[in-house]
Amino acid sequence: MAVDRRGFLKFVAGATTGVLATPVPWKLLDDASIWTQNWSWIPRNVDGENSYISTISKLCPSAAGMKIRLVGNRPVRALPDDNHPLSMGGITALAAAEVQLMYSPSRVKRPLKHSGDGAYVAISWEEAEKILKENLRRAGSKIAYVSGDETGTINELLSGMAKESGSEDFYVMPSEVQPAARAFAAMNGNGQLGYDIENSDYVLALGANILESWGTVLRNRAAFKQSHPAAEKPTVKYVYAGPVQSNTAAGADEWLPAKSGTEAIVALGIANLLIKAGASVNAPDFAEFKALAAQFTPQKVASLTGVTPAKLKAIAVELSKAERPLVLTGSEFGQGTGVATVLAGTAVNMLLGSFGREGGVKALPLAPKVIASGMDRSEIADKDLVAYLSRISAGKVPAPRAMVFYEANPVYGLPQPAAMAKVMDKVPFKVAFTSFLDETAQACDLILPTPLGLERFDDVETPYGIGQAFYALARPVAPCAVDGKPAADVLLNVASQLNMDLGFATYEEVLQAKAEAAGADWDSLMEGEFFTSDAVAEQSGLRLGAAVMGKALAAAPKAAKLSIAPVQKLNIGTPNTAIPPYNNKTIRRWELQKNEMYVAMNGATARELGVVKHDRIKLTNSSGSIQARVNIFEGVMPNTIAVLMGFGHTAFDEFSKGKGENVMELLTVGYEAGTGQSVWNVAGVNVSKA
Amino acid sequence: METKEFTIKWGMAIDLDKCTGCGACMVACQAENNLAPIADASNKIKVMNWITVYELSNGKPYPEHDVAYLPRPCQQCGHPPCVSVCPVIATDKNEEGGIVSQVTPRCIGCRYCMAACPYHARYFNWRDPVWPGGLEKALTPDVSVRPRGVVEKCTFCHHRWMAAKDKAIVEGRDPMDLPEGEYVTSCTEACPNGAITFGDLNNEEHEVAKLASSKYAHRLLERLGADTQVYYVSRREWVLRQLDNYLEDEKVKG
Repeated sequence: MAVDRRGFLKFVAGATTGVLATPVPWKLLDDASIWTQNWSWIPRNVDGENSYISTISKLCPSAAGMKIRLVGNRPVRALPDDNHPLSMGGITALAAAEVQLMYSPSRVKRPLKHSGDGAYVAISWEEAEKILKENLRRAGSKIAYVSGDETGTINELLSGMAKESGSEDFYVMPSEVQPAARAFAAMNGNGQLGYDIENSDYVLALGANILESWGTVLRNRAAFKQSHPAAEKPTVKYVYAGPVQSNTAAGADEWLPAKSGTEAIVALGIANLLIKAGASVNAPDFAEFKALAAQFTPQKVASLTGVTPAKLKAIAVELSKAERPLVLTGSEFGQGTGVATVLAGTAVNMLLGSFGREGGVKALPLAPKVIASGMDRSEIADKDLVAYLSRISAGKVPAPRAMVFYEANPVYGLPQPAAMAKVMDKVPFKVAFTSFLDETAQACDLILPTPLGLERFDDVETPYGIGQAFYALARPVAPCAVDGKPAADVLLNVASQLNMDLGFATYEEVLQAKAEAAGADWDSLMEGEFFTSDAVAEQSGLRLGAAVMGKALAAAPKAAKLSIAPVQKLNIGTPNTAIPPYNNKTIRRWELQKNEMYVAMNGATARELGVVKHDRIKLTNSSGSIQARVNIFEGVMPNTIAVLMGFGHTAFDEFSKGKGENVMELLTVGYEAGTGQSVWNVAGVNVSKA
Repeated sequence: METKEFTIKWGMAIDLDKCTGCGACMVACQAENNLAPIADASNKIKVMNWITVYELSNGKPYPEHDVAYLPRPCQQCGHPPCVSVCPVIATDKNEEGGIVSQVTPRCIGCRYCMAACPYHARYFNWRDPVWPGGLEKALTPDVSVRPRGVVEKCTFCHHRWMAAKDKAIVEGRDPMDLPEGEYVTSCTEACPNGAITFGDLNNEEHEVAKLASSKYAHRLLERLGADTQVYYVSRREWVLRQLDNYLEDEKVKG
């Protein structure tokens, strides 16, 4: 049948009418609009009554004071606490994320056992405690404990357990604390060095990243806030000396470029100028110190540190003109400093008359230990974890049969982590008490989830950097979000089964005893109050530690032709937290792109190396190598490469894992002459195009 | 176009000499306003941030180099370019306080406002927000979670103003006469350096009003005439110069 034109048009018209008359197209259109708009589930707001609980952060190294906002029984925000001396109305980028970290995807949700084939097997707490007890019994005295907590009484418990089993191997992860404590001990000092930054009228930070990560940073920043009224001339001058124009340098009134690891030399250069101007200290080794400082002429300091003689002289004059000057020392990445650095800085403070003066350095009394067999802070400061692991690595001491890690992540956070991981392999049984599935936990046989600081009772005693004796409790604001148990309770239980006599049955009793020893009132601590005391520790026969400084500086490593300067930023987290979920948005564009990190150097250095921005380079030295892209940032000293810490996690979750590489791979451990303290604040590097 | 005047004009003065770029404001903002985290946050075009901290450089080589950080919330323009282009009045400047609103349920996702905003302060939800691992348990009840397909931006934590007003009414006080500091944004509250000052620009007693009249106070792209309610303060000439497009030989006030 032929279809003519009329027939075809009739058919089309009929078909069109027919289709339009049926509901099919309308139904399809309707469905299409519904299904394309049918959004996947997104959460809805859950209302409830607001309440606030004051507590203190155990996760942020600043020991931030904070108010936790709860809606119903849900914690939702970590807020600053205006009335807390360790917040003073501010919060760090890390502490601000603490509530969200309760629900981090990388939290360990239940006790895990590493099976023979490498898989994790969920086990009950009963089984976990049984495995722990058996292995600790089997290890006997061949056991080591590593803690990642600097301020908690749990260190007395862990060291007490070590000693009760006949081991001296208790260590705390390295930080600014150990060199400072050892320095003060070398000075014949009693107590802990404290810094009255609030009352100072001139602040010189030698390497110490005081506005980002050093010490009780929120207190430092509150002092900065007070002394820098908006749109007005600052009332206190802040000077930062370091190799990189870091966040601290950005806030400071003057950045004094100084090579990484040369803080002690800058301090001695200043001391020399002060002594020449008539300053002196009533110390038995002042003459020796004077002779040592005299070696550090402005010209010599300039050649070693990069600080010009004119600048050094200007700083010395400004310091001597100030009424309450304060010198703070440290490393721009919060670890790896030598004892001599703190000694040199403290010596300058003494020359300026700032020791024991308002706005200067104080000796803070520490509460006596409450667990008789435990170690106190000065004993702990003498225990050098990096040195211990290096000795095992070199075969000088045998590996322990068991290692207990408490909220410590040495496999990621120590220099030369690959070497540290190899040491771990030599240990037959390893257990991690941790909140997150970190690199160390992954290398352990048993992983025991601990509640976060917001979910347990814990304490903070006089953190390093603070200007007065301090004690406060961290209190649980919500039930533990996972099947976790406080490590202290688990360990006390196991200790009693192993017939160790620690003197306490529960951790709450330990904390009560500690609070009493500190002079604090338990009931008010339980209500979120804190204890502070302006008492100072009595000193007699204080020395400058000239002999120690002399030995250390005589053998100090020379700066390499091209060196790296690690930079710490709290927003990128710590080895224990990695990058919290909300915080990776704070990483700048040319710090990380997808999974590639950027390292920064100035234009002249880049030209010398023959690289331009975005070039892929490989940084190599005897310790290891990392790959990165080049960012040009003129706030870096010549022949220096600034590398951010906090990248290169191989554990945790999608917010951290596989992003960039770990700068610790490039840090080479050395030992300070005279003190034996492990140091890693000077590292040379070679650069090649990748 | 005339600027709509209000009895209260909430504003901010950010001291760029005090900001060290730590990012606490950004984290506090996300937690307060229920922004979702993102695994790869390096693509800054796709990342949602109601406040972003930019790095400024004086452009000089070492050792003359200087650095500053500029936190950028919504500038809450006096006559906002975004409002005039919105076809559905999802964004408006019509409420006492002078905060540019963003009614996400009304937004149709056309993104004209994003094109119009000279400050890149608006963000589009390309995907549904995801809070992995139970992170949604930490959401606040104050700010609705936004689905994909809508634009969002900083609201000066408008919910906090509503709460402060409610509290004043319950306590028998005048909600239009809040004491300074009773209502502040989450970023202001978080900043440990006190770089952000928040308050009523129309109240001469408020610190922010005093700072806004300082010779060191400038606004971002001021000469566009958007009459923004966010002021930037710096005693450094090079910093102020970067806040607008100046000719080389042109003098900058301050």
